[in-house]
Amino acid sequence: NMAVTSVASQFFNEDEDTAIVDMTTSEKVVDLLNQAALIATDSKLTVLKQVQELIINKDPSLLDNFLDEIIAFQTDKSMEVRKFVIGFIEEACKRDNELLLKLIANLNMLLKDESVNVVKKAILTLTQLYKVALQWFVRSKTMSDMQEACWDMVTQMKEEVLAMLEVDNDGVRTHAIKFTESLIITLSPRTSDSDTPKRQEGDISLDKISKDHAYIRYDTLCGEGKSALEQLLKFMVHPAISSINLTTALGSLATLARQRPMFMSEVVQAYETLHANLPPTLAKSQVSSVRKNLKLHLMAVLKHPCSLEFQGQISTLLLDLGMSQNEITRHTPAPREPRKRPRHEPYTEGKKLKIEPALIEDDEDKEEPAPPSISKPSSVPVVQSAIDLTAEFLRPLLSPENVANLVLISMVYLPDVMPASFQATYTPVESAGTDAQIKHLARMMATQMTAAGVGPGLEQCKARDEKAGKEEGMDEGIGESSKDLLIKRKVPVMGQAISVVGGGYGDKSQTETGEAPQVKRLPEPILPSTQIKTPGTSGKRKVFRLADVIQPLTDTQLEKLTNMAVKRILHSEKAIAQSGMAHVRVKLLSRLVTQFEGMMKDDVLEFILEDIRTRSDLAFSLLYQEYNTYLSQQPTGLLDSYDHCLFTLLSGLQEKPEQRDGLFTKIVLEAPLITESALEVIRRYCEDESRVYLGMTTLKELIVKRPSRQFQYLHVLLDLSSHEKEKVRSNALSFIKRMYEKDQLRDYIEKFALNYMQLLVHPNPPSLLFGADKDTEVASPWTEDTVRQCLYLYLSLLPLNHRLVHELASVYTEAIADIKRSVLRVIEQPIRGMGMKSPQLLLLVENCPKGAETLVTRCLHILTDKGKCVHMGREVTQALPKLIKLNPIVVKEVFNRLLGTQHSEGSSSMSPLTPGELLISLHNVDSTKCDMKSIIKATNLCFGEKNVYTSEVLAVVMQQLMEQSPLPILLMRTVIQSLSMYPRLGGFVMNILSRLIVKQVWKYPKVWEGFVKCCQRTKPQSYSVLLQLPPAQLTSVFERCPEMREPLLQHVHSFTPHQQAHIPASIMTVLEANSKQPEPEAMQPVVLERQVMANVTITPVATFTPVATPPVRAEPIPVPLRDPEPALQQYLPSKKEEEEPMEEGETAPACQEETADTTLQVSRDYCHPFVAVTEVGCIYVECFEKV
Amino acid sequence: MPSHPLRVAVVCSSNQNRSMEAHNILSKRGFEVRSFGTGSHVKLPGPAPDKPNVYDFKTTYEQMYNDLVRKDKELYTQNGILHMLDRNKRIKSRPERFQSCKDQFDLVITFVKYQLGIVNTSREQETFTPVHVINVDIQDNHEEATLGAFLICELCQCIQHTDDMENEMDELLQEFEDKSNRPFLHTVCFY
Repeated sequence: NMAVTSVASQFFNEDEDTAIVDMTTSEKVVDLLNQAALIATDSKLTVLKQVQELIINKDPSLLDNFLDEIIAFQTDKSMEVRKFVIGFIEEACKRDNELLLKLIANLNMLLKDESVNVVKKAILTLTQLYKVALQWFVRSKTMSDMQEACWDMVTQMKEEVLAMLEVDNDGVRTHAIKFTESLIITLSPRTSDSDTPKRQEGDISLDKISKDHAYIRYDTLCGEGKSALEQLLKFMVHPAISSINLTTALGSLATLARQRPMFMSEVVQAYETLHANLPPTLAKSQVSSVRKNLKLHLMAVLKHPCSLEFQGQISTLLLDLGMSQNEITRHTPAPREPRKRPRHEPYTEGKKLKIEPALIEDDEDKEEPAPPSISKPSSVPVVQSAIDLTAEFLRPLLSPENVANLVLISMVYLPDVMPASFQATYTPVESAGTDAQIKHLARMMATQMTAAGVGPGLEQCKARDEKAGKEEGMDEGIGESSKDLLIKRKVPVMGQAISVVGGGYGDKSQTETGEAPQVKRLPEPILPSTQIKTPGTSGKRKVFRLADVIQPLTDTQLEKLTNMAVKRILHSEKAIAQSGMAHVRVKLLSRLVTQFEGMMKDDVLEFILEDIRTRSDLAFSLLYQEYNTYLSQQPTGLLDSYDHCLFTLLSGLQEKPEQRDGLFTKIVLEAPLITESALEVIRRYCEDESRVYLGMTTLKELIVKRPSRQFQYLHVLLDLSSHEKEKVRSNALSFIKRMYEKDQLRDYIEKFALNYMQLLVHPNPPSLLFGADKDTEVASPWTEDTVRQCLYLYLSLLPLNHRLVHELASVYTEAIADIKRSVLRVIEQPIRGMGMKSPQLLLLVENCPKGAETLVTRCLHILTDKGKCVHMGREVTQALPKLIKLNPIVVKEVFNRLLGTQHSEGSSSMSPLTPGELLISLHNVDSTKCDMKSIIKATNLCFGEKNVYTSEVLAVVMQQLMEQSPLPILLMRTVIQSLSMYPRLGGFVMNILSRLIVKQVWKYPKVWEGFVKCCQRTKPQSYSVLLQLPPAQLTSVFERCPEMREPLLQHVHSFTPHQQAHIPASIMTVLEANSKQPEPEAMQPVVLERQVMANVTITPVATFTPVATPPVRAEPIPVPLRDPEPALQQYLPSKKEEEEPMEEGETAPACQEETADTTLQVSRDYCHPFVAVTEVGCIYVECFEKV
Repeated sequence: MPSHPLRVAVVCSSNQNRSMEAHNILSKRGFEVRSFGTGSHVKLPGPAPDKPNVYDFKTTYEQMYNDLVRKDKELYTQNGILHMLDRNKRIKSRPERFQSCKDQFDLVITFVKYQLGIVNTSREQETFTPVHVINVDIQDNHEEATLGAFLICELCQCIQHTDDMENEMDELLQEFEDKSNRPFLHTVCFY
């Protein structure tokens, strides 16, 4: 029994023991974790470290169980604890790569920790885990989604750390530099000459990555590595880099040079650049620290066999850093004894060995990254760096004179205080002027110039890179980025450098390069757990998936949150403006808002309109964004959203009280598209009387600057031209008139105007005229307003294009009486604008269409309307030939207007022509332009107006006509007519006749004829005149009127003897000549005269309207012979408008003189060029015969 | 401020005078300090400048003390060597060579410029954890060693009190430079 019990208990105990043993670690962990939750930081760390030891090293199978519990500490208050968690993550992932999938996200969180120390620790861990992850993923040819996601995150974290080169914290930057260094090493191929530290022998590097990996792209990684190097080099040359960062970077470069000799050229160049451009921010001791470091690192680089090619540059630098030549030589590796690192030896297997693929499983990787270095022959010329090239360029230029000049010039730029970096680097020049020193100087300058981005070397390099880039692109296809160039370019350099050394060594080294065997043995972390674990077991269940822990928001919630977010951005205007990021906000808002439908847009628009002046940026941005969206959805996209935006903005502006900032115009003109509704707003804007000008200016700009839709815009303007508001209308009209000058718009405007006018032929006004709201069912009659509406535009165009007048006439003939009346009222202004001279108007008058007589009469009426055509005297004169040919009724009307006999209110001073001037003008009508008959009729009209043509007026007319040269044909007719009207003018007429003798009147046959007639009629008064004639002319008189001789002779005989003595004998001979025989033609002139006179008296005067106030001029009476100015002066002012001042100046005084020349001159002002006297004579006779 | 005491290494050539003086003072002030020499041997002044006493790093201070007492007690008492060794043996048993040390520090202080380079190249980097190395030139005599030790102690105290040592080190060193009128070379290495 006992035995049984003991056996049983033994069994039991054994079980328990086993259980206890099993439980111990696990329980211990639980216990420790429980403690850890409660205790202070220091002991907590101790406890956690124990846990870590237990579950990672002692019993890794527990790792998965307690993972969450440990990771939970990543939110601990203490940064030391958080740092511990990071360390734990590193260890755990190294132990079990699979954990990367779970833990990388935690590390990512910690990478963004608020404590810099935690961040630093996270960077350190990422430095390690990046390699771990890469290695792990590279091993598996296919990757699960989760693995891909994990790698993506690692890549993203990598970018974040690279970006940390720019952060504010010095320590974080230092860590970022080291990360970058490690990254570059990893993402570049290890080669045979890589000087790899023992501990990193097993590390992954680019050469171990297969080119056909399913997810991890060789090219991408290679590019990333080079980009990292570029970032590091760029970081180095930052002028304000801290001394520790610089030190760190210098060390990193040395590491790179040694582990990746392909970068040696870049590294040495970076050193040179730095040496020549030490950051000015460094303090004195920092300068020495940096220099000391530089020296150390240079020596380390120098020790590397691949530095051979750069020995010159490195030695120069070291000399500058104060090292002796001996020391340098001591550190320089002897080229003929290549140090063979032991690890290389086992792999030496003869020359030209093709590099084997790095991966064990990989048996088809024939195209590995490294091969180019070998396959490319060493005959490729050494590629010189920019510094080399510039230095070579400079060297011959450094003559003593040039150098002296450089020194003198640079004196100006020297700082007041000697910079620490200079003080530290300055060493007295011992070998000034020697070749070596000049070379050194050239190199130093080249370094500086290259750093500053100038110099021929840099340009050549750029060109070369571009060229190479192109070739590369052609060779490798689009996939290969030009960045690959870096490596490929560098490798030949190395080959060349070696071959330059010559013979035996070259062979040897090639052998060495050739063997470049990648270690076949891949570092394989022995991780039993990974192998044991099969995919899909517990490990994966715990993976953090965002989708698992979040719940989708409801639409309402979403919308609310979105709206709130946008509102916050919207209302953070000031805060953002202060930060100088206003443009980002604007862009953000417009992008956001255009993406969402609904209220948000209106909110933003409303917000803009609250203070559009300061928010116009946002307005424009929004508008453009909307348009962009529209364009991007072509061809099916709708403009609605854009339209809404534009419409709201414009209406908002339109409804706001007046603003003078032109924002409305700006939006209209800068909007990519004007929609219908926007155009409607513009129209409303134009209809606003306070803004009509601005509105229409905007509209005009649209018309001019957007030709594709200009007619659409023009139509709005044209519509406004018949607007009910006078201000709107008149502005529209004046804008249209300007538009009308443009050829491409002319037709459209004209058609519109004519179409509108054409409406007048309708019996009732079409609804078009009323606007949509005012349209009525019942056809309303035409009113003055509606008629005007149809004519505004037409009438304003009429003065610009006289041809249009005929259209009016044709419409007029068709229109009803009411419309006719209205038309007659409204045409006054435009007809006057056309002027008397208008050929088209005259054409209309001449061809007066049937039914348009009233219109034509009205036109003439307007044109001759005195008081309103003050300046038309000359025009009237010119138009006379045509006028007087018109229908007698019309002519009479015109004369009435001209003479002011119709309207009592018109004072004579307002008339364009004095009655005298009119009559004189008629005498001077060019007989080629008008038949004599019409002229005589016209003069008869004048004589019929006795109230106007008083004796005084006629006296002046005669006086002036008489002074003309040549004498007007109708002169004597007028003299005789005047005399018959006013016999008391007899004395004056005698005077005229005497003066005509002086003017040798007999030379003008027709006038002479009249002269004789006149004398005949005025005997005996005329006797004294006759006696003044020369004998020949007296004879001629007697030939015409033989009956005059006897009475004249008797008259002479009645003289006193003394008086008789004054009569020349020749005259007496003529008088006493015995010629009593009657002449055959003697009676003819008398008959003629009678006819003329009869005609005069018969002229009907009845049609003349009675005159209330006789428009008689106050003229000198009776004989204005010596003083003709009053009349002339009346006339002259109206001439002033049109005549050259000089001419006028000559004219005025000339009138007062009586010399023949000046008379001639004066008369020319009234005369048309004269036709041949004979011709005129014929006409004269003809017309007299006809009458 | 780091929650743990600053881990400091003080380094001179033979781990006798300057480093031990600083070790002495720093440990009394609560720092986690260790001291090292960088030379290939431990050298102590001998009867003439060209006849130093040379030991390897395995020799304890005690052994050296006894050796010198035996060689010329009067001379080594007079020049203070025995006194120094006596102090050293109470701090630790024997000198240590920096190059052989595998521990990590936050701060390494050297007294001779060239030691910067030795520190720099003494190890292959692995974790990339930075260690800041500061060099203050201190002559190898008792007075200077004492002055230097106090200077370093003050510096360490200041560093211990910074919020973010790496970020503030530059500025702090500039202050110290101005105050002490000695150049402080500062560099960083990585484990």
